[in-house]
Amino acid sequence: MAEELQVTQKHELATGSGELTREGPYFSPAVDIYGNETELVLLADMPGVTSDQVEIDLREDVLTVLGKMKVDDNGEELLSEYRTGSYFRSFRVTDMIDQSKITATMSDGVLKLVMPKVEKAVPRKIPITTD
Amino acid sequence: MLRWRIGRDPLWTEFDRLQTSMNDLFNALTSGGPKPFFDPLWREARLFPLLNVREIDHTYVITAEIPGMKTEDLEIKVVGDTLTLKGERKPIDIGEGAAYHRRERATGTFHRSMTLPSRVDPDTVKATYKDGVLSITLEREKAAVPKQITVSTE
Repeated sequence: MAEELQVTQKHELATGSGELTREGPYFSPAVDIYGNETELVLLADMPGVTSDQVEIDLREDVLTVLGKMKVDDNGEELLSEYRTGSYFRSFRVTDMIDQSKITATMSDGVLKLVMPKVEKAVPRKIPITTD
Repeated sequence: MLRWRIGRDPLWTEFDRLQTSMNDLFNALTSGGPKPFFDPLWREARLFPLLNVREIDHTYVITAEIPGMKTEDLEIKVVGDTLTLKGERKPIDIGEGAAYHRRERATGTFHRSMTLPSRVDPDTVKATYKDGVLSITLEREKAAVPKQITVSTE
């Protein structure tokens, strides 16, 4: 039997921090990072964000993820337990990652970044052929 | 299993306001450094998933953020004026030989009921799951929609 899910509050980013000059609240998405010898995978929870509203930027070894969200405010609000807003988080990418091969997909509100590692300088055996 | 009524106890709102102003005061005195993040006081009493409810033209729209779910792991039931949500957010298969470097995304089961402000028509209940957001629309029962009665004079 799996454990019961606990409520976790969204972590709102402090206003005026870093590059955030846009309006509205920004939250830091929860992430998982896992990997093996050949690649690293990053998963970020950004519910409500469609794939065309995600911006991924990589410069000077810093990977920035921005998920913009439109806030729906039709009708009358009866209960508001969670807040909605955009998502922002940045990561430092080490030189272990092949930055040109990073791929991103978005499904069911989860962003998946696959970051292949640089191929190691595997010592290659050079066959010697005899004439 | 706990049931929650729509509408927050005004006492908690007052406590929350008090806590916020105390935090502001504390920050002003200790100025400098990033502003710490404080959870609201009622956090412990809350159940997953957190819900937002809106009413649009006699229809309740209930939304919950549950990213990365499979719809077959989700069960929604409506009886009278009670909505029940049950499900499991399963851990993903990271493959053999892989290890976690960071793990913040929670997994597990959940079960939550909510009493709606009025009875709903069970035949009109619709649920959609898009971009990790579950949204359930429930139409108020015809009898529960207030009727305007005009007084006629003879």
